[in-house]
Amino acid sequence: MHVGNGIGRREFLRGGAGMVLGGSLLSAGCGVGQETGSEEAVKKVVPAKVDGDLLVFNWTEYMDPKLIESFEDRYKVKVRTANFDSMPSMMAKLRSGNAYDVIFPTADYVNRLVQANMLLELDKEKLRNAETIYPFFDNPWYDAESAHTVPYAMYTTGIAWRDDKVDGISGSWNDLMNESAKGKVFMLDDFQEGIGQANLLNGFDLNATGEEELEQTQATLEQQKEYLRGYSTNAAPQLLSGAAWIHHAWNGDIINTRNQAKKNPEIYKFETCKEGIPVGSDCMAIPVNAKSPGTATLFIDWILDPVNASQNIQYHGYPMPIEGSEDSFAELAADDPAIEVSTDDLESGSQFKELTVQERKAWDRVWTEVKA
Amino acid sequence: MRGGYDRPRFLWLVTALTYAFLFAPIAVVVLFSFNGEKSLQVLDGLSFRWYEAFWNDDELRESLMASIQIAAITTVVSTVIGTALALGVIRSRGKTGSWLGILLLIPLVTPEIVAGVSAFVLFAQLGVHLSLTTIILAHITFSISYVVVVVRGRLATMGTDREEAALDLGATPWQAVRLVTLPALWPAILAAAMIVFALSFDDFVLSFFTTGETPQPLPVRIYSALRFGISPTINAVGTVMMLVSALFIGLAVALPRLLGRQESGMAVLTGRSE
Amino acid sequence: MNDAFWRRFLVPGALWLAFFFAVPFGIAIAISFGQAAEFGGVIYGWHPENYGDALDPLFAPILLRSVGYAAATALLCLAIGYPVAYTIARFGGRWKNALIAFVLLPFLINYLVRTYAWVALLSDEGLLANLVGQPLGVLNTPVAVIGGLVYGYLGFMILPIYAALERMDPALIEAGKDLYGTPRQTFWHVTWPQTLPGVLAGALLVFLPAVGDFVSAQLLGGPDTYMIGNLIQQQFYGADNWPFGAALTVVLMAFLMLFVIFFLRGGRAAERREALA
Repeated sequence: MHVGNGIGRREFLRGGAGMVLGGSLLSAGCGVGQETGSEEAVKKVVPAKVDGDLLVFNWTEYMDPKLIESFEDRYKVKVRTANFDSMPSMMAKLRSGNAYDVIFPTADYVNRLVQANMLLELDKEKLRNAETIYPFFDNPWYDAESAHTVPYAMYTTGIAWRDDKVDGISGSWNDLMNESAKGKVFMLDDFQEGIGQANLLNGFDLNATGEEELEQTQATLEQQKEYLRGYSTNAAPQLLSGAAWIHHAWNGDIINTRNQAKKNPEIYKFETCKEGIPVGSDCMAIPVNAKSPGTATLFIDWILDPVNASQNIQYHGYPMPIEGSEDSFAELAADDPAIEVSTDDLESGSQFKELTVQERKAWDRVWTEVKA
Repeated sequence: MRGGYDRPRFLWLVTALTYAFLFAPIAVVVLFSFNGEKSLQVLDGLSFRWYEAFWNDDELRESLMASIQIAAITTVVSTVIGTALALGVIRSRGKTGSWLGILLLIPLVTPEIVAGVSAFVLFAQLGVHLSLTTIILAHITFSISYVVVVVRGRLATMGTDREEAALDLGATPWQAVRLVTLPALWPAILAAAMIVFALSFDDFVLSFFTTGETPQPLPVRIYSALRFGISPTINAVGTVMMLVSALFIGLAVALPRLLGRQESGMAVLTGRSE
Repeated sequence: MNDAFWRRFLVPGALWLAFFFAVPFGIAIAISFGQAAEFGGVIYGWHPENYGDALDPLFAPILLRSVGYAAATALLCLAIGYPVAYTIARFGGRWKNALIAFVLLPFLINYLVRTYAWVALLSDEGLLANLVGQPLGVLNTPVAVIGGLVYGYLGFMILPIYAALERMDPALIEAGKDLYGTPRQTFWHVTWPQTLPGVLAGALLVFLPAVGDFVSAQLLGGPDTYMIGNLIQQQFYGADNWPFGAALTVVLMAFLMLFVIFFLRGGRAAERREALA
């Protein structure tokens, strides 16, 4: 009766496919068909003009509403928004046949959507601002030649801390076991982030799944647990309320925290760790069953405009890979370059990859044994 | 007079403390609805900006109206079905009723995520397009058990003598139910209806899986806000809702007396005098 | 008013639940025998080993913890809720309906928003800590989780008890006083037995959903407050293993239903003993 899970920033972002049941029913011939596209449907030619009102499916508070209003005024259309709380949830709604015009999947989910023929190909000729996107995204791992997507925002995982409370921060994942903050540390309540950082700390690959590696990683997590006050995906309130002195966090969390702490934002610090930096990105895409793909194309172009992007960054607090929007984020990150995400970070950082069923089970087992 | 069993003062103290416990966080919610900044942790200046934001946000208002509509229909339908079930379970002798009584507890035990996923798969299989209707169907399904449990709790203490007396006086069985049983059950039926309204209005998981494109019920918007923080607009919405409801409750109590009647409005509503 | 007459009352509800509950529940069971697909989702099949996994002793402490928290919650709700329902029903006068409605008024504000408000109140640098002058140290402990559960479910205890108490004939209590003398004896001999079904209803409405709750542990819990609801949630949103999540659910439900049947039988036996005494 109470809610849902969703409690948390990207807790589920990377999980697995979640709600793809609809798809498997399809393959079993049970007739939940219409929602998955065919190869031809994906190539539908879309006019770059208004072809109806727009329905945007996004995280809440992830886009400046003023940007939407200005789009409505410019093109004389109505834009409606619906929200999801996690990637599995978004997938569920797409599979159920609900028709949205623009969606915001994370990179690994783009991979799945593309494989299921659920995204329209984007005509880059019709996106005037496509050339402002960093070249790093010309041919990303999740979408060959960026045929179906444009990037939206980028993020890294690191450690946030209260400079007024904690000493001896060392730029390592070991800071989650900082003695001066014992009992005041929160780990992200996300099994991929949790296991990922312990893997990195042990010198393994972010996505390591070997039996011996996981054994050692589990030992590390149990050792870290001694220092924990809890697991959470809400760094900002935890840091602001004094519950957390150290919080395993995403870079946008610290912007959010600082924005709320008008009086002394400088005491909230963020670091990325020398053993390795998990990085990721969100994208914009048009589902095959979109009712107004033309308006959707115009909308995506609107968001990519460097001036609009700069405005948007001020609202959601994450850097965007759009040339000409850098100053806007630099202003937010102020004195702390660790918060920024450069394409160098994207190139040198580690991305969570898709695990097989067996690998996922092994990770889940470790996480459950640590938490039980 | 020891032990407090008959001492209103002691009992009122316990009651007052309980209300303080229930409303302590509500006071915080109201306070932060006037926050000058976009934060639920740091209070910085007072303003009406979140009320203004609520007023100007068509979609949020639509969500609120959708939630009220869902909760209202769910309450009416599940209260009717659930009350009938409770009557059948308790009054019919034999195994059918008592086994059904046990089976009816299963929905209470079902974790919501599983309820949501299976409802979603059912609608998908049937090719039903998701909408407010599908949300309401799912909510009713999981509310019926709450009604049955509450109504049964009262029904179990009532004998059948008065119903039989009515029959002896020449009433038909239906008349006996309508004129004797139901009025005696009113407090339980009303309690059940209030529980169902509260549950339905606050539900997220089930609503999310069964909702169409728009409007999304209010809790779906709220839970989706977790990634980037809940906006104090939500506090403003909650405060307005509370005020309006409190006003209704107050009116129901006060109005009939202002009009010179003896019973309270609630009593009129529930068809009984005090 | 014979059986046939009363059985008619079962028809609409039974049909409704057969279609909208039993059928989806069958789907959930089918999922529990399936297999997690490579890109997520479910491949239907016959994989009873999911149940072998679900019965792993690793989960026993999680289940026991959940049952313990839920039982503590139900007892606390009863200890708090009974006096409140009793006060309102007996001494509420013309205000009693309004007072009862106010018990549920906080539900109009979303549970999540209220829980965050608790965090703002109770946290180390929160409003109450400022008042007291030192951190309270309540958050992120089992006490906080149980407190959150009590807060979320208290109304479900108060209302059924109130419904059982309301309309209890005051003459009965007066007669009890003549018979037993003290208010305490009157209460335990007259009032309490009359309200037992209401108490039972409240206990079920609080205990059963509380076992599977995950919000309280997630938002208010510490490192050692993991509940079965969190584990099931993790299978659907995190580990992406629907069949295992469904199997865990079926095991949990079977366990709770046995528990309830045992509990109800025990209750009935006690009633019979009391009737004989």
